[in-house]
Amino acid sequence: MKTILEGSQACAEAVRLARVQVVSAYPITPQTHIVEELAKFCSDGSLNGRFLCVESEHSAMAAVIGAAAGGVRTFTASSSQGLALMHEMLHWAAGGRLPIVMAEVNRALGPGWNLWADQTDSLAQRDTGWIQLYCADGQEVLDTTLQAYRLAEAVNLPVMVILDAFFLSHTWEPVDLPAQEEVDQFLPPYAPRFRMDTDHPQSLHGVAPIGVYMEMRRSMQLAMEAVPELLERIEEEFFARFGRRYGPVEPYLCDDADVILVTSGTAAGTARVVVDQLRAEGQKAGLLRIRMFRPFPVRSVHEVLKSALKVAVLDRNCSFGAGGIFASELRSALQGGNPVPVYSYIAGLGGRDITVETIRDCFALTRGTDRPAIESVWLGVKEELLK
Amino acid sequence: MTPQDAKLPLLPLFMPISSAPTSANRTGSWSSRQPRYVEKTAPCSVHCPCGEDIPRIEMLAVRGEYAQAWRTIMTENPLPGCCGRVCFHPCEGGCNRAQFDAPVAINALERFLDDQAGEGPLPAELRPAPASGRRIAIAGSGPAGLAAAWFLARLGHECEIFEAAPEPGGLLRYGIPAYRLPAAVLDREIGRIRELGVRIHSSMALDEELLGKTRSRYDAIFIACGNGRGLGLDIPGGELAVDGLAFLRAVRSGGLKTRPADESGLRSAAVLGGGNTAIDVARTLLRLGIAPTILYRRRREEMPAFSHEIDSALAEGVNLVELSAPLAIRHDSQAFTLTLQKMRISEPGADGRMRVVPVEGETREMNFGAVYAAVGVRAEEPWRSLAGAEGALRLSHTLLLPESPTGLPVLLGGDLVNEVESVADAIASGKEAAIALDLLFREGCGAITPGLERCRIGAGPSLSMEIYQGGPRRSRSQRIVRYDDLNPDYFTAAPPERGDSLPPAAAAGSFAEIEAALTADRALEQAGRCFNCGICNDCDNCRTFCPEAAVLLELRNSSRSDPERRITYDFCKGCGVCLTECPRCAMEMEEAAS
Amino acid sequence: MSKSELFEERELMNTGHVGCPGCGATIAMKLALRALGDKTMVVIPACCWAIIAGNYPQSALKVPVLNTAFATTGAVCSGLRAALDLRGEKDTTIIGWAGDGGTFDIGFQALSAAAERGDDFIYICYDNEAYMNTGVQRSSSTPWGASTMTTPGASWKRTQKKNIVEIMAAHRIPYTATANIAFPEDLERKLRKARSIRSGLRFIHLFASCPTGWGFAPADAIKISRMAVLSRAFPLYEVEEGERYTINSGGDAPVYDYLRMQNRFRRLSDGDIAMIQEHVNREWERLNRKARG
Repeated sequence: MKTILEGSQACAEAVRLARVQVVSAYPITPQTHIVEELAKFCSDGSLNGRFLCVESEHSAMAAVIGAAAGGVRTFTASSSQGLALMHEMLHWAAGGRLPIVMAEVNRALGPGWNLWADQTDSLAQRDTGWIQLYCADGQEVLDTTLQAYRLAEAVNLPVMVILDAFFLSHTWEPVDLPAQEEVDQFLPPYAPRFRMDTDHPQSLHGVAPIGVYMEMRRSMQLAMEAVPELLERIEEEFFARFGRRYGPVEPYLCDDADVILVTSGTAAGTARVVVDQLRAEGQKAGLLRIRMFRPFPVRSVHEVLKSALKVAVLDRNCSFGAGGIFASELRSALQGGNPVPVYSYIAGLGGRDITVETIRDCFALTRGTDRPAIESVWLGVKEELLK
Repeated sequence: MTPQDAKLPLLPLFMPISSAPTSANRTGSWSSRQPRYVEKTAPCSVHCPCGEDIPRIEMLAVRGEYAQAWRTIMTENPLPGCCGRVCFHPCEGGCNRAQFDAPVAINALERFLDDQAGEGPLPAELRPAPASGRRIAIAGSGPAGLAAAWFLARLGHECEIFEAAPEPGGLLRYGIPAYRLPAAVLDREIGRIRELGVRIHSSMALDEELLGKTRSRYDAIFIACGNGRGLGLDIPGGELAVDGLAFLRAVRSGGLKTRPADESGLRSAAVLGGGNTAIDVARTLLRLGIAPTILYRRRREEMPAFSHEIDSALAEGVNLVELSAPLAIRHDSQAFTLTLQKMRISEPGADGRMRVVPVEGETREMNFGAVYAAVGVRAEEPWRSLAGAEGALRLSHTLLLPESPTGLPVLLGGDLVNEVESVADAIASGKEAAIALDLLFREGCGAITPGLERCRIGAGPSLSMEIYQGGPRRSRSQRIVRYDDLNPDYFTAAPPERGDSLPPAAAAGSFAEIEAALTADRALEQAGRCFNCGICNDCDNCRTFCPEAAVLLELRNSSRSDPERRITYDFCKGCGVCLTECPRCAMEMEEAAS
Repeated sequence: MSKSELFEERELMNTGHVGCPGCGATIAMKLALRALGDKTMVVIPACCWAIIAGNYPQSALKVPVLNTAFATTGAVCSGLRAALDLRGEKDTTIIGWAGDGGTFDIGFQALSAAAERGDDFIYICYDNEAYMNTGVQRSSSTPWGASTMTTPGASWKRTQKKNIVEIMAAHRIPYTATANIAFPEDLERKLRKARSIRSGLRFIHLFASCPTGWGFAPADAIKISRMAVLSRAFPLYEVEEGERYTINSGGDAPVYDYLRMQNRFRRLSDGDIAMIQEHVNREWERLNRKARG
């Protein structure tokens, strides 16, 4: 059923359709609309589950871990400071092999307080063992959330469904809301591979001595390595049922492009407009949107970028002392493949608008420079403030 | 691919999920210290001349297992009805609980248990061993003779008791008044001994003549005829005094209504002496309507009679005149005039006893309707001479003459030879004689001393028949448990109690038994005061508090009523919590052999 | 006095665990599970018990265990409870089993939230009065006067032990109580009572002595625990609905004897101990005033 939904609402609807049983979250702008919707669903019975109000994000993740260990489907959501506070428990959820799904609204980290779009928060958690999927529009948020449960429950790793603050979380768009029966066919009831059970008492998540810890971690890595193929099969099913698919990456006009811009999130929408403009001006520009950041889509990027002459990466994040994170991951992923120079750009931090001009600058600078600068190039910075 | 075909494969999942029990870890290797259940000896049982297994008796009483508790007494002492009434309870003097609040009322509990479980035929456990073919002649049916017969019969030896008096019992019948020990109780106890096949010949003394005729029937003789003759007063007119013991005997034989002759009409009597006999004579006279006055040469605190007996006597109305020694007795105008010397306390003599010396010039005269003397006793002839014979082996409660003029091995026991003249010590004589004879018959004279030593409780001298017969008590350590060995955290202060007593005024009116038994509720409380020193009473502290869950409770012989505890040394880390929390020192810590 | 009925009892704690000899915390767990039975799940954060619970592939307990991060016991229990209720397993008892660190300090926030939410589980803090698992560092449960690795030498702890039961009572939870491993029947009664109350959080503050951390002979683990109660340094009492106080213990043993048995108080002068005695007396008076209403 086609309807107009806010990005947050699209997420909440997906959680409802997935028949999640325990939701526990701590409010933080701009995730609040997600949790408020879910509280309403639990209260009016449209979601047959429990909404646990907790006193912090650390406890929110702990609560859903407890519930997942108890054998039910779970959900939480956070952003920025809240996600950072949850950091220990993100590791715990992944190492605990629990199929938790979390909506993460990309918001800048303070100080200073900044509520707006920035990817550093989710990317700072890239080592935790969570699968990370970056969405570009409301439909994708809904679809990805549904797919996330299939994926998480298949590999026993938690999944972060990521959406930009305000640009996506608070933007109303047309969204096709699938019917419950259809979703039930796609997403069967949760059948846990392990759980707390007095009939079969076990100790979960206890001490792993030197002799086995590495193998437990290897098991997580192998699960991550299985994700691309599993996601593809899940998307096949999803496509057959709902007519939509996304893939680990979304290339646009890359086949014959000589300069390809790599980016993620809502900035990709603007980048598509720029690519069309440049093509009209005679440039062979291309766009690669990265959707699946963890596991990093190594095969896909090799494939798409195999013939590019130059690659530009636009990061809405920064790892201080290193630079744009998508850029550094891409450079690493391309080892052994096309030795294409990768130009790294940082823009849009703290909600600063990434405009058509910003992206045109990326392409222009990339074309106009022989080799990439060692440090990431920051676009749109007010230099006068730094004197 | 249709949606229904899209079954996703199950990936291998290696993660921290554990369920193998930690009992694969033999943590017992952490320490070489191993706690063990080692039952020990309680001081009360050492102080008891009969060596009764008192902690076990009280433990069984608390569980309501009266029959088993009673059997435990009877194993070591066949006269609990008597002892529970008249014993001077040295056990209570050694009771560890005295250092907590007050001793356990062991004596009252013994009486209670006999009242509860003493009726009916003897249980199988106490029946005799197969007949050995030996026969022993026993002179005297007092506690020593009766006990000897009991123990000898249980060991399979036939016994014949010869008693000069018309009825058996000795001092138990003729010396101790009915208000302390009713005849029915004594008769029941004697009846049990008869049940073992022991024959008692009353009104038949075992004298030399009888022995000469019958000697070939017997393999040994046990002489326990006590000190039946009162000492006379060595003063002018001393022969005018009636022997106290003879008086008690006459009252007992003639029925309790006998009023002694009293020409004077004074209805008063003097009783010379300070021991239990003097007290018994005075209280008996009271019940016969005579006003008694006890005259003692020293003070009340030096009187050898039991203190509570003196208290009872005074409460009933007996007069006591201290520091008065008799000088002479004369009989004129139907009354008896007693000349008395006033005495005073002087420095202690060489033996440490208080000395009294006459107060110069201070004498007086008192008149009474009768005078009784209870100043000491001695044995009848000819047993006195045998007691001093050459070649005699002095054991703890008997004198053994392996070869006597009779040609048979002879043992003497009871008041004849004991340092402490009591019922319990007499029973101890009987037991020692029985075991000594059994050893003599089976292994010869050289086996007697070592054989007896093996049966001693603690440091001795009390003996245990159970140990002699190879019962579980033999595996107890001889170490005596002291108060400091206990953990009093588990004990709550509670007063000791005895059964109710008739008030003195009512008591003095008849020969009815003065003290009643404890009620069942009180008996339970009183038995519960016993710490059960040295033995396990199933409190389960060790198992409750073991941090390793290494103390296991197992059924012994599939019997739910007899659980056994076992420590698994594969897991015990030797922490010692069990020992500390064992309230009664029933455990030991040992080093494991490597 | 026959213990034959106990033959049906199966110990729910395995032997062969790695607790120190004389470990009060293992006695505590054994007794707690005896009281609660096998339809119980235990949530264990970082603490001594996280190690004692067993290294892969071993478990020291015969009931399900969920190990979790240090600060999270209150939250994890809440989530687990929700899951079990949704699965229809309402009769399973959940216990959060945390040390004083995970309760008084790092775990306090989550505990307070669970109390305020009225969540249905039993939170048991087994208290050995310091961060023992990491090597004996002070916690806010460490009593005044104690030496620890972070209050060493002349800097022994000069702040009072936090009164966690009063704090929990102030949350007005239906039931909170102190308990002590030396009083097993009292502990059993309180746990069974806690299990039967489903209308909110139940909190048990369980005294569990630590020979290693306090410096006394392992054999005295129970004795010292008892002395804590009888000297009124750790009285036994219960609070219902945050306002009805019932005192379950008494005694007037001098706190001196209790303190002098432990190395961790060795730096205290007799004057210091006198101050502790005064404090104990005042707290006892205060407790009695509350019990009198």
